[in-house]
Amino acid sequence: MRGKKRLTDRWAPTPKVMGVPWLVVLLGLHCAGIYLFTRGFLLTRTELSASSLPSDLHLSPCSSSSSDDPDPAPHHLHPSRPGWTRPTVDRILILIVDALRFDFVAPSTFFQEKKPWMDRLSLLQHLASTQPNSSRIFKAIADPPTTSLQRLKALTTGGLPTFIDVGNSFGAPAIKEDNWLHQLVKNGRRVVMMGDDTWTQLFPEHFNESYPYPSFNVKDLDTVDNGVVQHLEPWLHREDWDVLIGHFLGVDHAGHIYGVDSLPMIQKLEQINAIIQNVTDVMKSQKHLENTMLIVMGDHAQTLNGDHGGGTSEEVETCLFAWMPRSLPSSISSIFDQSTCSLDLNGGNICTSTMQQLDFAVSISALLGIPFPFGSIGRVNPELYALSPGSWDPQWHLTAFCEDSRSDLETWKHNYAHVLCINSWQVKRYIDSYSATSVMGFPTDDLRHITDLYNKAQSSWSGSKNSPCMPENGTINGFSNFLLSFAALARSAWTEFDLKLMGVGLGIIIISIICHILVFVRVHSQSNVYGNKTEKSSDHLQISVAFFLVAVRAVSFLSNSYILAEGRVANFLLASTAIASTRSSLVYGKFKKHDLVFLILIIFIRFGIEMGMTKQAVTNPFLKYDSGSDFDSKWLPSLFQGHDFATLFSEVSPMIFLFLLAFVSYKIITCIVDASGIKWIVTIGAMLSYALIVTFWLSERSFAPRMVYGIGFGLLVLNFVIRSTGILERGDALQRLRNLALVMVAAWIPTILILLGKQGPFAVLVCVFAGWSIISSKNKGLLDDCKMDPISVMQWSLLAICLFYQTGHWCTFDGLRYGAAFIGFDEFKIVRQAILLFIDTFGISHILPIFSLPFLVVLPASSSSKKRDKTVIFLNLTQVYLLYGLITAITTTLTILCVAIQRRHLMVWGLFAPKYVFDAIGLLLTDVLICISALFYC
Amino acid sequence: MLTAQIGATTALTLHSLCAAGLAAGHWLAQSFYSSSLITDPTRTLRFLTVCEAPIVIVLFSWLRRDHDRCTFIKSLGRGLIGLPIGALFNAFGAIVLGAPVGLKYWPATIYWSMLMSLFTFVPAACVFGASKLDWQHILSYSNSFYRLSNVVDYMISVPAHGAILGAWLGAWPMPLDWERPWQEWPICVTYGAIAGHLIGMLLSPVLIYLHQRHIRTKVE
Repeated sequence: MRGKKRLTDRWAPTPKVMGVPWLVVLLGLHCAGIYLFTRGFLLTRTELSASSLPSDLHLSPCSSSSSDDPDPAPHHLHPSRPGWTRPTVDRILILIVDALRFDFVAPSTFFQEKKPWMDRLSLLQHLASTQPNSSRIFKAIADPPTTSLQRLKALTTGGLPTFIDVGNSFGAPAIKEDNWLHQLVKNGRRVVMMGDDTWTQLFPEHFNESYPYPSFNVKDLDTVDNGVVQHLEPWLHREDWDVLIGHFLGVDHAGHIYGVDSLPMIQKLEQINAIIQNVTDVMKSQKHLENTMLIVMGDHAQTLNGDHGGGTSEEVETCLFAWMPRSLPSSISSIFDQSTCSLDLNGGNICTSTMQQLDFAVSISALLGIPFPFGSIGRVNPELYALSPGSWDPQWHLTAFCEDSRSDLETWKHNYAHVLCINSWQVKRYIDSYSATSVMGFPTDDLRHITDLYNKAQSSWSGSKNSPCMPENGTINGFSNFLLSFAALARSAWTEFDLKLMGVGLGIIIISIICHILVFVRVHSQSNVYGNKTEKSSDHLQISVAFFLVAVRAVSFLSNSYILAEGRVANFLLASTAIASTRSSLVYGKFKKHDLVFLILIIFIRFGIEMGMTKQAVTNPFLKYDSGSDFDSKWLPSLFQGHDFATLFSEVSPMIFLFLLAFVSYKIITCIVDASGIKWIVTIGAMLSYALIVTFWLSERSFAPRMVYGIGFGLLVLNFVIRSTGILERGDALQRLRNLALVMVAAWIPTILILLGKQGPFAVLVCVFAGWSIISSKNKGLLDDCKMDPISVMQWSLLAICLFYQTGHWCTFDGLRYGAAFIGFDEFKIVRQAILLFIDTFGISHILPIFSLPFLVVLPASSSSKKRDKTVIFLNLTQVYLLYGLITAITTTLTILCVAIQRRHLMVWGLFAPKYVFDAIGLLLTDVLICISALFYC
Repeated sequence: MLTAQIGATTALTLHSLCAAGLAAGHWLAQSFYSSSLITDPTRTLRFLTVCEAPIVIVLFSWLRRDHDRCTFIKSLGRGLIGLPIGALFNAFGAIVLGAPVGLKYWPATIYWSMLMSLFTFVPAACVFGASKLDWQHILSYSNSFYRLSNVVDYMISVPAHGAILGAWLGAWPMPLDWERPWQEWPICVTYGAIAGHLIGMLLSPVLIYLHQRHIRTKVE
């Protein structure tokens, strides 16, 4: 503290005092604005805490007869259990295969082309083709966001998922809304769970027995699956359960790490097939499982890269397979949709149907005969319902005289109509109570239309009750129509944005930008007073050019295509500035080599970005992360792929680049630092880190990364000591600033390098050389070379964005490189892994560029450093930081504006919202880093 | 000296000849192969280049500086050498900015950069040759309108800058997901370049007129 005070006396020129507090104020404004906007934007439907009770059924119009005559004929299934409908199966065994694509299950004849991963779950296909009356393959459509937590929540509550939960993914909160697990427990059923531990986080006290396994370690393909296998069979032989849930994660993890088209994925699928084979064998042999339904389903699907989270058809089209060991009446085939049938590989006929995952919760509830979850808005799926033997029993409120005359089909239809009646009543009740309690209900017109549909269906139902032997088609259609219309309405209208909060948040951000500009103008004019003989007109021209570029980039966010191509747009703008700067050096008749170097570097960056973008589209072996073993360098043209030469090259080239980088670092350190003590410490630290990185690549030993992190931390501490005590240094303010900035950057580079994997050395080299080119091309032809140059700052920020994309990142949650979180550590600890992932994601695009910004001010001044006034340097530094922050703030504001405008866009959850989250985090991080830098350097 | 007598109207005439070359190329491609830029960009670009090249080289060789020391033939030769060199620069610029480089794009890229070279590099090569000062002078044109002393400088500089700016702007719609055929490389960039070049050719006589009036008032 005392040291700091002394420093303030020593290193605090007056103008700095004016700039830095403002940076903190801006940070505060940004925080407030983003917080409010996020509250408004990511807030969705109101969760109602009410839950359904068995006795509620008396309120429904469907149960009038049953209340007069409760349970006329005691049934063999569960005579004593309370419920809304009669249970139609004894038990349900749900096997969830995380990230199960539809084409994993459906025969390859359904698709244009047979791919290696198809037809691996041959047992399911065999069952579907040989037992068409007791098994069915469904294409299950999930509602985005397609992340496990949201899907599980929606699957159990029967509601639509909300985006905000993505943010809560790391600490899954228990589900508060009514759901079928809750109903099961309340109605005395026994639930057993094994597998993914997300379930126990969502339902902490619902399971009689649970065997949770950690789900976050994506590199681990087997722990969860083996755990399920270990417990599944013993439980199948026991009788003390009603619902058993097994959640396999191997397929999801194999996709994340290796992609769909990979050997581990095929092995995983074959393992799952064997497990299901085993399960069906047991089910056929055990008497107590005779009336048990087996459901094999995915919670969501995945792209060929193994990514999921968005709303593309690849991600939402998952699968549900249902099978009963018992055979069912043959008239079931008339209920099934026969439209999509195809021959399978063995010549058998396979049909598939399509269902919404939204319908899953209520269908399960109907099968088990428990009250439907209060907030469920799904419809009991007719095909799934027909697969249960109980739905064919002539049991419900059937007047004796027409019982004999009824066919199986008519009986079923009658039963189904009754279930749909309860279902519709339950949904209508939910609509009413939602409209009554929610701040923003549904549009009145739509609501009136829905109510009309309900009344019509209800009157058709009462009509058919009076003449009980009439066919129920009209009633079923009426109810279905009501339920489907409401689901459509809910889907379209339910992302409930709080426009007021969003507006206030956006307003605060815009105010912050105005403040930002005012502060910048103040500091700028102040520096003009201090600075000497500035050419006013060229100054204005440069600022307007820089802002034109910012504006182009910012406005481009209004279109989803430009967001997708953001890396290319940034590269295009960076290239434009580089070409313009080359042109201007030609005007002065001195073509410098750094111009050419910069142009060539941009070509490298450009190919890097394009490689990164292809990874988004298809599995790309170049970028797949596997802690370094088959991780090719990305600049390698794909035509060489697969040759020995290519393998050798990709193994060796990172090393070569690393040696080059070591050499360059040594040069830079000796050139910039003047104090020999610091010079030696930093050089030794850097070289040791590089050696450790090579050790890690060759041996995969985990001590090496940890030591690299340790060295980085040590250098940071050293830097802080230097800054606060002033030891080991001599020289003026300029030299001091250089030392501090260099030690800071040197402390971060090795950590970022090792987290980036084998592409790291090349990316950092590009970064160093591009930074050097920007610094050298700065302020050509002007004498006052310590002055802030807006175009250089703009280039610096564009370069940062390019580096983000060049290193294989992009703005979605599945674009995070999870593998990087496990470098040096094998076991999962949330805080530690989150920090590593954070450094990997933002290291080269935020931390490094912002901490190295002082070079932009202090390096060109080397020739005339004697004349430099301390005040001018710090004024310029403050200006640079203000401008950099301003550029980031403006682009982020446009992102926010664009998200607000496009909030009803199809891709809002897949593209705009993640982009918003990344940009918002990026802005706050930039602000924090700028504040730290300003406090540290000034 | 010939160039001293050139006025705004002559410049306009010469520019319209260049524009006619472009129109002829387009018309030939359309009527003989019924290909337009969108259906077959490579062939159309080839026609445009082939029709435009002789016109540009001949016209600007006629306008060459240093009539005494440099013959018409020599100037033609400079233009012919300048064509591939300028194409190289343009292709390099396009690739830096993000033009696709796959094998199937090569022919189109080559013809496109030839055409760009005709718009930008070749006229200057014909007129100035390897005179470094003249080149520098013409590049610094945008810093001040009245600094250019010569009428021919305007005729070279304004359409060339127009073509480059037009091509730059023409690249903007490329990433959009409209899935129109003209969003392919190098179609919209060519459209932008031609449009920018034509605007530049309209603008240069205006600037020449203003420039000459300015000089006249100065003299008076």
